[in-house]
Amino acid sequence: MVQLVGSLRKELSDTLSTCKVLVVGAGGIGCELLKNLVLTGFKNIDVIDLDTIDVSNLNRQFLFQKKHVGKSKAQVAKESALQFCPTVNITAYHDSIMNPEYNVEFFRKFMLVMNALDNRAARNHVNRMCLAADIPLIESGSAGYLGQVTVIKKGLTECYECQPKPTQKTFPGCTIRNTPSEPIHCIVWAKYLFNQLFGEEDADQEVSPDTADPEAAWNPEDTATHATASDKDGDIKRVSTKEWARSTGYDPAKLFNKLFKDDIMYLLTMDKLWKTRKAPTPLDWQQLENSARPQEVSAGLGLKDQQVLGVWGLCQLFQLSVETLRSQLQEKGEGAELVWDKDDPPALDFVTAAANLRMHIFSMNMKSPFDVKSMAGNIIPAIATTNAVIAGLIVLEGLKVLSGELESCRTIFLNKCPNLRKKLLIPCVLDPPRASCYVCASQPEVTVKLNVHKTTVLSLQDRILKERFGMVAPDVQIEDGKGTILISSEEGETETNNSKILADFGIRNGSRLQVDDFLQDYALLVNVLHTEELERDVEFEVVGEAPDKAPPPQSTQEEVKNITNGNKDSAQPSTSFKAPEDAEDDDIMIVDSGEEEEEEEGASSSTAVTTSASKRKHSDAETGETSTKRPRTDQSSAAAATNDDDNDDDDIIALD
Amino acid sequence: MIDMIEKEDPVISEEEAAQYDRQIRLWGLDAQKRLRGSRVLLAGLGGLGAEVAKNLILAGVKGLTLLDHEQVTEESCRAQFLVPVTAQGQNRAQASLERGQNLNPMVKVHADQDRVEDKPDDFFLQFDAVCLTGCSRDLMVRIDQLCSKHNIKVFCGDVYGYYGYMFCNLGKEHSYVEEKPKMVKPTGNSSDGPEAKKAKIDPNETTMVKKMASFCTLKEALEVDWTTEKAKAGMKRTPVDYFMLHVLLTFRTDKGRDPDPLAFPEDSRLLRKIREDVLETLAVSADLLNDDFISYCFSEMSPVCAVVGGVLGQEVVKALSQRDAPHRNFFFFDGRKGNGVVDYFGPN
Repeated sequence: MVQLVGSLRKELSDTLSTCKVLVVGAGGIGCELLKNLVLTGFKNIDVIDLDTIDVSNLNRQFLFQKKHVGKSKAQVAKESALQFCPTVNITAYHDSIMNPEYNVEFFRKFMLVMNALDNRAARNHVNRMCLAADIPLIESGSAGYLGQVTVIKKGLTECYECQPKPTQKTFPGCTIRNTPSEPIHCIVWAKYLFNQLFGEEDADQEVSPDTADPEAAWNPEDTATHATASDKDGDIKRVSTKEWARSTGYDPAKLFNKLFKDDIMYLLTMDKLWKTRKAPTPLDWQQLENSARPQEVSAGLGLKDQQVLGVWGLCQLFQLSVETLRSQLQEKGEGAELVWDKDDPPALDFVTAAANLRMHIFSMNMKSPFDVKSMAGNIIPAIATTNAVIAGLIVLEGLKVLSGELESCRTIFLNKCPNLRKKLLIPCVLDPPRASCYVCASQPEVTVKLNVHKTTVLSLQDRILKERFGMVAPDVQIEDGKGTILISSEEGETETNNSKILADFGIRNGSRLQVDDFLQDYALLVNVLHTEELERDVEFEVVGEAPDKAPPPQSTQEEVKNITNGNKDSAQPSTSFKAPEDAEDDDIMIVDSGEEEEEEEGASSSTAVTTSASKRKHSDAETGETSTKRPRTDQSSAAAATNDDDNDDDDIIALD
Repeated sequence: MIDMIEKEDPVISEEEAAQYDRQIRLWGLDAQKRLRGSRVLLAGLGGLGAEVAKNLILAGVKGLTLLDHEQVTEESCRAQFLVPVTAQGQNRAQASLERGQNLNPMVKVHADQDRVEDKPDDFFLQFDAVCLTGCSRDLMVRIDQLCSKHNIKVFCGDVYGYYGYMFCNLGKEHSYVEEKPKMVKPTGNSSDGPEAKKAKIDPNETTMVKKMASFCTLKEALEVDWTTEKAKAGMKRTPVDYFMLHVLLTFRTDKGRDPDPLAFPEDSRLLRKIREDVLETLAVSADLLNDDFISYCFSEMSPVCAVVGGVLGQEVVKALSQRDAPHRNFFFFDGRKGNGVVDYFGPN
């Protein structure tokens, strides 16, 4: 006879009372999830989040109130949950889940781990920890009206990293520096400029005209006519931007004239660029000041920030923000660097002004501060209801896991509009692990194309092993018969190797590196493929995947997954350090996956769900109509296109 | 009426702009203003009601009235998160008021302890939208009829164990807008490089397209004639949840309550009987709905309330803001399968 405790079978209810679960993240999805877990009867919950509460969280992270702004999310979430269920045991950690303290042993304490994260690095990490500890993991993501949930179980399903995810795309340097055609190019340029002037200078964030632009095919011997040109000659720096700015005392008018007049005039001499493009028009500070008229104030129906500023208004904003940032720098003292923060008004003002001035110069429609903030700050719009649905689905999947019903677990997609089969929520059968996955395969292996004469050890560690392959503290040994240690995760041990190139250690084509991350219990064999022919701005390529510039052809719900990727390291356009994608690649294709049919007709679900693009009909996300064209969602471009900034713990949780 | 943006206060304050930033960036300032001018009635503060209340309060409606005559029991403390554990014996709406209000001080939240059925007709006229949970079929039909006569948007929803539904009637002529990207024709001349030759979606410009949708009453939706050829032909694509709903609404009418876990054996038997009767009365196949659902439709499951409450809440927001296509006219959620479907029931 069935015994119920509330809605649940008694055995399940008993399991919930005794099991321990971990919630990673206490933001949008996290708050909803915590509430659901508590009300469903879970009695022992650990929740971890490194962030503090911001006022912009309050439209959806309902466990927080205005009085909590500035406090730890995990801590306040716990306290609020206890209000409506004082008997539940919640342990809150105001910490990063990537802290080595949370090792495999820590993870083994839990019967279930649920992610409520907003960035891929953490997701990769938790994925590995759960594989190492062999604990089921429920992954989820949301952005705007869309979201998804999936279940990851070692040996049974794909892990989070089985499917290659499009990595951060970059715009070519010459687009940013010479031929911007979209506002986003100008915004990226402005953020680079901020760093060059006030922050950490980065060789990949040059803002001056790029004379080595292959399209310009400009003959460097014609320098005579370009007397007022910038100090830089192609990639060779003579005087850094910061030094130059300092030498002028960060004089706004001087900065303005260099960036928006002199450098533009220099660009104009690269006439090949302007044969098919509209040429930029330089601005002159004095002229603008003389012809300045009072800015028209439109009837304030919109937010003040949603008004586009006039050119002189932008000049003034530029001046004001430069002066403020200059003071900030001075206050911080010698060798100080500012870090760009969308919530720091002068920093945002600076980017708004500089980006818009550049847009104006290149004849683009300018953007309001509101829109600049979205694009520069990688803000992903978020609402309570989407997160509520996703968190509900997480718990339902969790119940299946805890009932031992793993075969009934599904990936579930939440769409904005019903698909052709009238489904708003689309469950799909889970895929088995990918045999060649470089994370969960029994002997993970990967091949990387790079130039052994150019790639430094530090670059290998930071760009390749940490950023690209998600390791936190890699140890690298060369398989050279001598067991040469290239990189040690112990601080200081191999620091002297950092600036050397790989070739210095005898690494060449065909060399193999044994890489281990002790914390993640992860061993990866890296095959080195030496090449001298990498694309410009590309430091390395992972063989077997499409080049970084274009995401691999995708279909089904993978496109949806990509927009809910979250934060700076996802495929989504981001301006945090690499340039965002071209607008066209923002397509979010909601395609009829067809998996439901297999399910309903009882077809064998042991074969992987097909994700081939082929001749599927594509449903328009909004109307549910079929179209053979690639439709786009109607979310505003800012919404669909951006990820969250480092500073903002928004809940974009990427599933894929 | 919600066709007019609230005239008293057209300007969004800085406080609102900061708090609502992430949603204004999604649905736009205009939609937020319309929400701001809307008054909503929510009947029933059980698990689903609490979710809807939370979602609407966070969204920033002008006012939300919580209407519930029930008292807080030990079970209701576990069922929803607005009622403090110390509130046993108090009225459920009253007990939910404080936490509800704290979710967003900018919304006027009221508690009303009356029975829905005792409210005079003109009580409902002060609202732009009415959302009914935990109500009997007849009550829902009556209020739906009354409200739609006065252009008030009507929403109904319930959660039964792993299952839940939402119904809406936005009137015969519900107008709304959809934001579509603008197509940019290839110009070739004033263009920006090689890509200019292709017709592009301009990511930076969108246009608002006006649309209209028509809804039937709840009575019409529930009284579909399944004996017609057309209905029979469409049966294959008809969610069985619709028939399950009939069974559960009948149970509610017959017993004056929903299936109770403490009365599992008797209630299961009754559900089985009602299932037979309902399918027969509707003249549909007895095989359409088997016994499976019976042991899974007890009590309000929190995650199911979250899903249904999320969808329902967002539908209310869409209707009040008159933005984006509404789901027409039912949403059914099956928490065991993870299936969520939207389907239309009613005359064509």
